Amino acid sequence: MVKFEAGKTYVIMGSNGVGKSTLIHSLMGKPGLPAVSGSATFLGSDINTLETDQRARLGMFVGFQAPTSIPGLSNFQFIKQATGIKVTEIQPSLSKFKEFSNTLGLPDDWDKRNLNTDASGGEKKKNELIQMLMMNTKLAMLDEPDSGLDVDGIKALTSELTAWRTKENTLVVITHYDKLISGLNPDAVIVLQKDGALVGDQSLADKIFNDGFEGV
Amino acid sequence: MMGSKVYKTLFGQTILMPQANVEEFYKLNDYFEHVTSNKFIDDLPHAYWSNILPQLKKTYENNLLTLKEEGLPTKRSEQFNFANIHKLYDIDILSAESDNDSYDVIERFSYLNGKKRCIVLNDSRIFTSEDLNKRSPFNVQILDSVNTNKNRQSEYVKLLRQQDNFSKLTYALSPFPNVIIFPNGSNNTFDKNPVTVQYRNSCDEPRLECNTTIFDVQYNAKVHLKEDVKTTAGQMNYSMYVLRENAELTIERTTNDYGGWNIFDSVFICHPGSKLTVKFTNTGSQYTQENLYIDSSSKTSVDIVGRNQIYKGNQYHQYVYQKSNDPDNYSCIDIKNVGREYASTSFIGRYDVGPLSTNFNGTMNNQNLMLEKNVTMHTRPVLDIHTKEIKCQHGCTVSNINEDHMYYLQTKGINKVTASEMLIESFLC
Repeated sequence: MVKFEAGKTYVIMGSNGVGKSTLIHSLMGKPGLPAVSGSATFLGSDINTLETDQRARLGMFVGFQAPTSIPGLSNFQFIKQATGIKVTEIQPSLSKFKEFSNTLGLPDDWDKRNLNTDASGGEKKKNELIQMLMMNTKLAMLDEPDSGLDVDGIKALTSELTAWRTKENTLVVITHYDKLISGLNPDAVIVLQKDGALVGDQSLADKIFNDGFEGV
Repeated sequence: MMGSKVYKTLFGQTILMPQANVEEFYKLNDYFEHVTSNKFIDDLPHAYWSNILPQLKKTYENNLLTLKEEGLPTKRSEQFNFANIHKLYDIDILSAESDNDSYDVIERFSYLNGKKRCIVLNDSRIFTSEDLNKRSPFNVQILDSVNTNKNRQSEYVKLLRQQDNFSKLTYALSPFPNVIIFPNGSNNTFDKNPVTVQYRNSCDEPRLECNTTIFDVQYNAKVHLKEDVKTTAGQMNYSMYVLRENAELTIERTTNDYGGWNIFDSVFICHPGSKLTVKFTNTGSQYTQENLYIDSSSKTSVDIVGRNQIYKGNQYHQYVYQKSNDPDNYSCIDIKNVGREYASTSFIGRYDVGPLSTNFNGTMNNQNLMLEKNVTMHTRPVLDIHTKEIKCQHGCTVSNINEDHMYYLQTKGINKVTASEMLIESFLC
C-alpha cells in the first residue's frame, strides 16, 4: 500500500520504463491503461469509479512530462475553464495569472498565447506549474517538472513548490535531479522497481546518485 | 413598405402550379423537365419580356438548350463525386401559385425599415434599405427589371457562365439576373461600412426559390459584404462576383439551417490586381451544396476560409475550383469542417494552373474533425498544374478528437462535454 499524506513531500525515482509516469496517470484515471486490482482513495473517496475530471475537481493534479499543445486555445482561456471562474472573477484571476507568469519569467503576453504551442520545453513546464498554483490543488503529482528548465527556472520552481506545499497539501514529484530533490527536502523518497518499491529518506536518493539503481 | 424599395424581376411567371388531381409535391427533376420541355422553349418568343433585352432572351434560351442536353448533375461529374445527390433529388418541393406581389412577402421583409446598407434577395426580387435607394454618385446601383439599362444589362448577361452544376437550372428558374454595382470611385466606402446581403425565403413551406445575381465591384473599389443565408425552404442561388482591376472584395457568408435546403453556386471573376477574401461558416442542412468557382487573371490574391460545424444529420458538400490563367497569382484555401452525429460532408478542391500562370503560389488545406463514428467525411485535393514555375501545396485530413488532448483537459478538471467543445473551438480557430 502506498499512502501519500497531507503536509508531506514525496520524490519518486526509478529506472526508465519502470512505471513512474504510469503510476500517477493511473491514479488520475487515464483511459486505456490496463486494469489493475486494488483500490485507491483520495480524501476518503473511492476514486476508482470517478472520471479523470472528477478526480481533478477533488484536488488531484498531474503535471505532464510532455505537456500537450492545443493550438487555438489560449493559456488564460484554458485556466478560465479549468478553474470555472465566474465573469466577475475574471479580472482578479487574470492578475493572479500574470503575477505567476511574471515571477516565472514568462513573456508578458503569456495569457494570450496558445496553450503550450510554440513554447519551449521549459515554458511548458512553467505553464504546468501556473495551472497547479491557480487550481484548487491538494495533491500535486508532477512528472519531471525540472526537465527543460534553466538554472533560474529550477530555482523558481523549487521556491514556488516549497511555498505551495503547506500542511494541507501533498506534493509528489518524479525527478532524478539532485538539486531539486535537496531543494524540496522530501519527507520520503520512493524508488519504484519492477517487483515492488523501496521507501527511504533523502539518503536513499543520495545513494542512487552515487551507486545507481542497481546499488539499492 | 415604407422607407425601403422593392425591385421586381421581369420574370414573374409561376412554374409548376398545383393542379387538380395531381400530387402537389414535385421533385427537382420535375422543374428540370418543365423548363426544358419543348413547349416551354417554344413559348419563349411569346414571353412578354422577351423583346426588352434580346441578349437576355438569347442567353436564356441557350442556357435552356444546354441544360436540356446535359441534364441535371450526377455523381459522374467531379464536384458531386462524394455528394449524396440522390438525397437532393428526393426532396419534396411544394408547388405554389405566384405570390410575387403578395402583401405577405412585402410584410415579411418589412424589417428593412430603418435598417442601413441592407439588401434582401428573395426569389429573384431585391429589397433594399432606404439608404441604398438614394441616388448619389458613389452609392450602390441596382439594375433589374424596373431599373433597366438595356446596353449595360446586355453586357452583364453576357458574363453569366454556366458551369457543370446547378447554376443552369437556377438561372432557368430565375432568368432575369439582378445586378448590384459598387461603382468606381466609391473607394473604401463599402469596406468601412459593410453591406449586408440576406438570402431569404418568402415562406417556411418547402417551396423552391431561386436567385440569379451579379455583383460588380468596379475599378479600385473596396467592398465588404456580409452575406446571411437563411434557408427556411428550398433555395438555389447563383451569384456572380466581378472584381474589376485592383478591386477588393471581402465576403463573410453565414449559412444557417432553418429546416430548408440550399444550393449556392458562386462564381468569381478576378481581374488583374484584384483581391478576394471569402470567409464562410455553414451548419449544413438536409442538403447543402456550396460551390465556389474562381477565375483568376494576373496578380490576384484569393483567400478562402471556411469554418463549418455540420449539425446532427445534416449534409454539407463543397467544391472549390480555382482556375489561374496568368502569372503571379496567390491563393490560399483553408477549410475546416466538424461533423456531428450522422453528418455527411465532402470537400473537393481543384487548382487548375495554366501554362502561362507562372509564379502561382497556392495552398489548399482541408481538415475534418469527426465527432462520432457514424459521421461521413470525404476530402479530395486536385492540383492540375501545367507550368513548372509555381509553389503549390496541399494538406487534407480527416481525424477524430485527439484522445491525448481530451485527457489533458480532463486532468485539469474540465468535463468531457466542455473539453470536447473546447477542442472543437480550437480546431476551428
